[in-house]
Amino acid sequence: MDLLAPIATVFLGLIMGYLGQRARMCFIGGMRDYYLVKDTYLIKGLIAFLICAFAGFLLFQFVAPALKTFPWFLDGGTVFSKKWAAKGITASPSPLLPAPGDPITWSPKVWAHVVLAILGGFGLGFFSCLAGGCPFRQHIMAAEGSKSAITYLVGFALGAVIFHRFIAPLIKAIFT
Amino acid sequence: MRLTATVAGGIFGLLGAAGQAFFHVIPPPAYGICIACHMRDLVNWIVAHIYPIYGLKGGGALVIPGGPVSYNFPVLTVGGILIGAVIAARVNREFRWKVMRVWWQKPWAEFFLGILVMVSALTFGGCPIRTALKAAYLDMTAILGLIMIGAGVFVGCQVLKKLT
Repeated sequence: MDLLAPIATVFLGLIMGYLGQRARMCFIGGMRDYYLVKDTYLIKGLIAFLICAFAGFLLFQFVAPALKTFPWFLDGGTVFSKKWAAKGITASPSPLLPAPGDPITWSPKVWAHVVLAILGGFGLGFFSCLAGGCPFRQHIMAAEGSKSAITYLVGFALGAVIFHRFIAPLIKAIFT
Repeated sequence: MRLTATVAGGIFGLLGAAGQAFFHVIPPPAYGICIACHMRDLVNWIVAHIYPIYGLKGGGALVIPGGPVSYNFPVLTVGGILIGAVIAARVNREFRWKVMRVWWQKPWAEFFLGILVMVSALTFGGCPIRTALKAAYLDMTAILGLIMIGAGVFVGCQVLKKLT
């Protein structure tokens, strides 16, 4: 049993929780503040995240050569599918498809993923804006003692069960 | 150096890439940091071990609906974030019980907002953090998703202006 990932993610989470509380980091809040009051404090965090994640993906693959896959669509994801065929992961034949490995709503059609990204992205932005922060920020606020954020987390956990019980089969039925 | 959101965002980005490169938080790719997906893995792992029918598929093997990295044991980012934030709030004396004032952020409303946010996040595979991580991984659907999140926030801001 490979326990490296669960143990490592606890420590990643600890660092993120501490820094996120100190910096009031929020990904939705950055866009919201920019639209509402033209405040750029939080949206700079989002831009820094994008740049540093890109640089990290680009550079770390030379240090950890087992995962030399960064511009993953150059080989159409065949590295992934060869490595994880036993886990039932299908390769993407096209760079327009998402990176392989999300088995829940994966389908070989590009338009299905475009529709899902439009619906899901719009809903995520809209409801997160009403809720007053991205899911990460809600975790931080729950830890600061906000009762609203604690009930949000209960609904958040219940939403996963609802999605996999009712909505994922629906998406699969429509898009395959 | 003062800890601004820019510094924190940069560190998060490096952590997300490092989680994949050094700590084997893969497959799926670009899975180093995600709130919705890791919460989904944790919840589904627990539910599938209490009610095995929830995870059963085809050949009778227990398959957790979620990222393949959590088939044996779920990733625990969510717990780490909560513990880290509680430590930060306690150390800096910012912890106190409170309830939001406006009606759409009262606890009962946030419960339904939580469900809706989780469902729409899982529809295209990621909370805002993982969408940004996948966009940095040059995933075209994630880039479209990030643009649509911006559009959703824009409409949400118009609604917020009407409500307040």
